[in-house]
Amino acid sequence: MNILETKNLHKIYDEKTVPVHAINGINLTIKKGEFTAIVGPSGSGKTTLLNMIGGLDKPTEGEIIIEGIKIHELSPHKLTDFRLRNIGFVFQAYNLIPVLTAEENVEFIMNLQGQHKAIREKRTIELLEAVGLGDRLHSRPGKLSGGQQQRVAVARAIASKPKFVLADEPTANLDSKSTENLLDMMEKLNREEEITFIFSTHDARVMKKARRVITVDDGIIVSDETK
Amino acid sequence: MNTYIKLAWRNLWRNKRRTIITSSSIVFSVFFACMMRSMQEGSYDSMIGNLVKFYSGYLQVQDTAYWEEKTLENSLEYDSALIAQIAGIEDVLLITPRLESFALSAYKENSKPVFVIGIEPEKEDRIIKLSQKIVKGNFISALDDGVLVAEGLARFLKIDTGDTLVMISQGYHGVSSAGKFAVRAVFKHPAPDFNNNMVFLSLAAAQNFYSAQGRYTSEVIMVEDHFDVKPAKKVIAGLLPPNKTVMTWNEMHPELMSMVEGDRAGGFIMLWVLYGVIGFGIFGTVLMMVNERRREFGVINAIGMQKVSINLMLFFEIILLAFLGALGGLVLTTPAIWYFYLHPIPLTGDIAEAMAQYGMEPYMFFSIRPVIFIIQAATIFGISTGIALIMMISVARLKIIKALRS
Repeated sequence: MNILETKNLHKIYDEKTVPVHAINGINLTIKKGEFTAIVGPSGSGKTTLLNMIGGLDKPTEGEIIIEGIKIHELSPHKLTDFRLRNIGFVFQAYNLIPVLTAEENVEFIMNLQGQHKAIREKRTIELLEAVGLGDRLHSRPGKLSGGQQQRVAVARAIASKPKFVLADEPTANLDSKSTENLLDMMEKLNREEEITFIFSTHDARVMKKARRVITVDDGIIVSDETK
Repeated sequence: MNTYIKLAWRNLWRNKRRTIITSSSIVFSVFFACMMRSMQEGSYDSMIGNLVKFYSGYLQVQDTAYWEEKTLENSLEYDSALIAQIAGIEDVLLITPRLESFALSAYKENSKPVFVIGIEPEKEDRIIKLSQKIVKGNFISALDDGVLVAEGLARFLKIDTGDTLVMISQGYHGVSSAGKFAVRAVFKHPAPDFNNNMVFLSLAAAQNFYSAQGRYTSEVIMVEDHFDVKPAKKVIAGLLPPNKTVMTWNEMHPELMSMVEGDRAGGFIMLWVLYGVIGFGIFGTVLMMVNERRREFGVINAIGMQKVSINLMLFFEIILLAFLGALGGLVLTTPAIWYFYLHPIPLTGDIAEAMAQYGMEPYMFFSIRPVIFIIQAATIFGISTGIALIMMISVARLKIIKALRS
């Protein structure tokens, strides 16, 4: 079952001055439960592709359809709400809210969704235990290591029960041990809870773990391999 | 809502030093603004109070010609029906007649022109609390033919209670007036000008002295406070015959009003300079707060927080910052102003002399009118809200991708 589909996706930056064709007609489908890496050299367009899939950026041309909804046609307000309920994000620099504890960071997204406090608290503890941080509930990001912060970011990303999680270079700032732990954890979540993960990465270790590797160069898909 | 307030509060303390410095600047600005305004309004209240409560009253009914030419020829006949009507008006607390004129006073070798006021002692005492100002001797009654002499005048004439004051003047219809009056008491008038040349006596004694039986120069009317003056004037004006007019305290003292307005305007300029400094201080802090968190705003917008909610959080941060400063300022100011309200600062030297020449008491008075505090707090709130709105527009225009890259 396709949860994500792009049709003839184009993105041109600085159209009025010197146009840069970041994406040149990408057609892509992602099925539920995939563990997909989008790879490519710097400037190949993978982050732009991820931003558009995530509803953070609008395509110049083409369509992005998530479970039947053309998200590029949504108003900014509706698109924000759509992201809240359907897409999880993991950023390269973790980007947790520094004034909230690990527990509050995870709970925050469910709070935005309007879930009841009791449900939020229960799920937050479950998620943080699942990512191995059951003992760091009350630690603020500043007191956590990079690997631990990224685990909290993953827990936050899946807290809203999204249709898929977009992870932009999630291991770029991590050492090899933290990277391995994080990947194992995400793979486990993918396998056991059927959470769909889409990464953009340079990291060979991520490519190795991914079951599908899409290579992007000059704004087009040059290869799409499923292991 | 609680989440936003909690987030705002914690965000405020992310940079403790900056928050403390900014809120301290607000604290001291509110403190100085309140002190300055309280001092100004306290001085005006004192000046107006001296005139209203120690002389003119809030309103006066006079002959239409009396204000321009203050002679006994422009005095009025006693009209008990009119007085009863005015006394029955809701806002009117008291109405009492006066006969005012001038005389040359003398005691032994000393003489001095004096301002003579014939009063109904019992009623007048409720207005000007004259009995409380007596420093020596006893207050007079309505049938008393003695006089009350102001302390400065008594000192000049070297007269004391029990002595006899001689006064000569021109009475009603040009009659020569001369009289000997026993000094019943010496009183201290707070306005140095009045304290040096004022004599009170009963209305009957004054009418006898000036051969103006049954006449008076004005009816002094007291209302609760100056807010009641305008409505009371309107009602009273409707009751008066064509030869009588009603004047308010500010119409009777236009020079005082001009001085107050001029001084107040000068104070406001200073105040706005102070607010400008506070405003730019808050703006600088908030600008840094927003600019260094553009990426964070981009992230929370990306994960699903609406810009409206981000703005709400930001608004709470700015308002909390202003609230902390304004509250601190008011906490610091209130006891200080209360203390100085109860214990006005005495002035000495040239300033005291200059104030005395203007008929003012040589003290720095403070006002505790709540409006002074409310306006300072409201102004800080207004400035903060304005700054918050500018920042909220900036956040509303935030581009997620640009913010995430910042």
